[in-house]
Amino acid sequence: MSLTNLFDLKNKVAIVTGGGNGIGKASALILAQAGAAVAVSDLKLSDAEEVAEEIKKGGGKAIAVECNVTDDDHLVNLVERTVKELGGVHILINNAGGGGGGRESPFKIDVKRFAWVFELNLFSAWRLSQLCAPHMKDGGYGSIVNITSMGSINKSPNMSAYAGSKAALNHMSANLAYDYGPFGIRVNCVGPGATKTAALASVLTPEIEEKMLAGTPIKRLGEVEDISGAVLYFAAPISEWVSGQVLFVNGGGVQTLD
Amino acid sequence: MKKTELLNDLFSFENKVIIITGGAGAIGSALAELLGNLGANVVITDINQERVNKVASEIQKATGKETLGLVADSTDENQMKELVDKVVAKFGKISGLVNNVGWGAATPIWGSDTEKMVNSYKLNTLSAYNLTKFCMPYLEKEENASVIFSNSRVGNTPSPEFIEYSTAKAALLNMAKSMAVISGPKVRFNTVIIGSVDNGESTLDAGFTMEMLQKINDSIVMKRRGFPADIAHGIMFLMSKAASWVTGVDLTLDGGGRYESKMPKKED
Ligand SMILES: NC(=O)c1ccc[n+]([C@@H]2O[C@H](COP(=O)([O-])OP(=O)(O)OC[C@H]3O[C@@H](n4cnc5c(N)ncnc54)[C@H](O)[C@@H]3O)[C@@H](O)[C@H]2O)c1
Ligand SMILES: NC(=O)c1ccc[n+]([C@@H]2O[C@H](COP(=O)([O-])OP(=O)(O)OC[C@H]3O[C@@H](n4cnc5c(N)ncnc54)[C@H](O)[C@@H]3O)[C@@H](O)[C@H]2O)c1
Repeated sequence: MSLTNLFDLKNKVAIVTGGGNGIGKASALILAQAGAAVAVSDLKLSDAEEVAEEIKKGGGKAIAVECNVTDDDHLVNLVERTVKELGGVHILINNAGGGGGGRESPFKIDVKRFAWVFELNLFSAWRLSQLCAPHMKDGGYGSIVNITSMGSINKSPNMSAYAGSKAALNHMSANLAYDYGPFGIRVNCVGPGATKTAALASVLTPEIEEKMLAGTPIKRLGEVEDISGAVLYFAAPISEWVSGQVLFVNGGGVQTLD
Repeated sequence: MKKTELLNDLFSFENKVIIITGGAGAIGSALAELLGNLGANVVITDINQERVNKVASEIQKATGKETLGLVADSTDENQMKELVDKVVAKFGKISGLVNNVGWGAATPIWGSDTEKMVNSYKLNTLSAYNLTKFCMPYLEKEENASVIFSNSRVGNTPSPEFIEYSTAKAALLNMAKSMAVISGPKVRFNTVIIGSVDNGESTLDAGFTMEMLQKINDSIVMKRRGFPADIAHGIMFLMSKAASWVTGVDLTLDGGGRYESKMPKKED
């Protein structure tokens, strides 16, 4: 038996949102390594294009699509172009997300901003799942991986919108797993701890990092490859009997921003 | 890195020595074969002498990797100590441990007693504590060393039908997490929560009928009970380099769960 069978994504098409940088980029690259054709989508088209180029240089197949996940027309276009240019959708990585970073003081955040955080982290994942599921059903293979956060189960200061939206993402995923299961579509979440990306760098100070490491049994912060390894596990046939799960990848600890 | 090179690197078990308890059983032997195929020297231990020898030689033949079958009773502390000595004498190290031994019969909730409760704790919980303790000095010397615990849905859901088994597995779940928070950065500790897996006669011995099993198949989201390989795959991932920042988790491998939350009653 060879590894390639367990992880083989040949003839599979994957969509990655926020695929231009960080965790999304690492996920797009590893899925391509396993043989998938990847629609790399991002708010910033040029970043998506760079990642698609890298995949093609490595002998893989990829397209770059500009997509703001809070814009419904963009989501519809992303799925249409993927189906047209790559021939279907089998894997969906709902990675684009954000807000948080301790910027959501309940005294200051307004309704619009709060709703936007949910649109970004929750509604986008729901809507893209809805758009992709029929193609997964037709294609005979479906795996949706939603990138959640330790924030979904931890309490952190001024993070109620982000944490609430990610907690909702966990439970929405578990429920979608029930609904989609009979059609051969699996839905799982990967929950990163503090992982070295631009998003983290924008809020990290040496003091915060030291405190984070003190609370982390495996004495380092996450690398994007730690997260994309878990994404590959859930995306690939190796986990064909696993659905509705949240896997936290966090060095065993809690990394908080306070 | 080229495609196969990257995957081979992430999921290589070359030069690793992995102990699997209850390794002659359904899940243990599937895992032993998978890890052997990925390059590990596997040591399977089991109370069943005939099967442990047979399974070890079959795996060695199938994988081309030296595979050791050792008879050992996981409930006997001295035998666990001797087991570690034997493995180190043979292979010089221990890189991973899968505390997979475990079993429990269906019992009416008020039909158990001290002896049965304690015996279940010895088999499902203490066995893992003792062997992990004896392996720790060796695990701490290895890169990306990890310990896996085979748990069950009975260990984290109310399970009055399995009061001995479920309470022992619940204790095992907490034990794994306690080890994880204190023992990094050297060794990782993760649990797999296993749903209903076809292990042949063991399930029937535990009091299930074929009719009950068909009902379970129908009630599972992915429409089938698990194969031992499904569990082996999850354990392999958690032990691999790809999961080297994963510790203290419990990953449920259960076909997406069941549409009904209760286990079927024996009289159903
Ligand atoms: N880095 C961490 O420590 C960490 C921890 C927990 C969870 N996460 C989650 O991981 C995911 C990815 O985060 P990251 O750290 O890789 O971030 P990142 O900032 O490194 O990359 C995010 C990418 O998403 C794109 N993006 C931003 N808004 C978008 C939008 N509206 N539509 C489409 N694309 C958009 C950005 O252009 C960028 O390319 C997020 O869902 C985040 O909540 C990250
Ligand atoms: N099969 C399932 O549906 C299922 C579900 C949940 C959890 N699990 C767990 O998975 C693990 C493996 O289960 P399996 O399905 O492979 O079981 P199995 O019955 O096929 O294998 C268990 C093995 O353990 C051995 N054993 C029993 N007592 C022992 C002792 N005292 N010392 C050493 N070896 C002993 C047996 O001889 C047998 O070979 C167990 O911990 C079990 O609780 C299994």
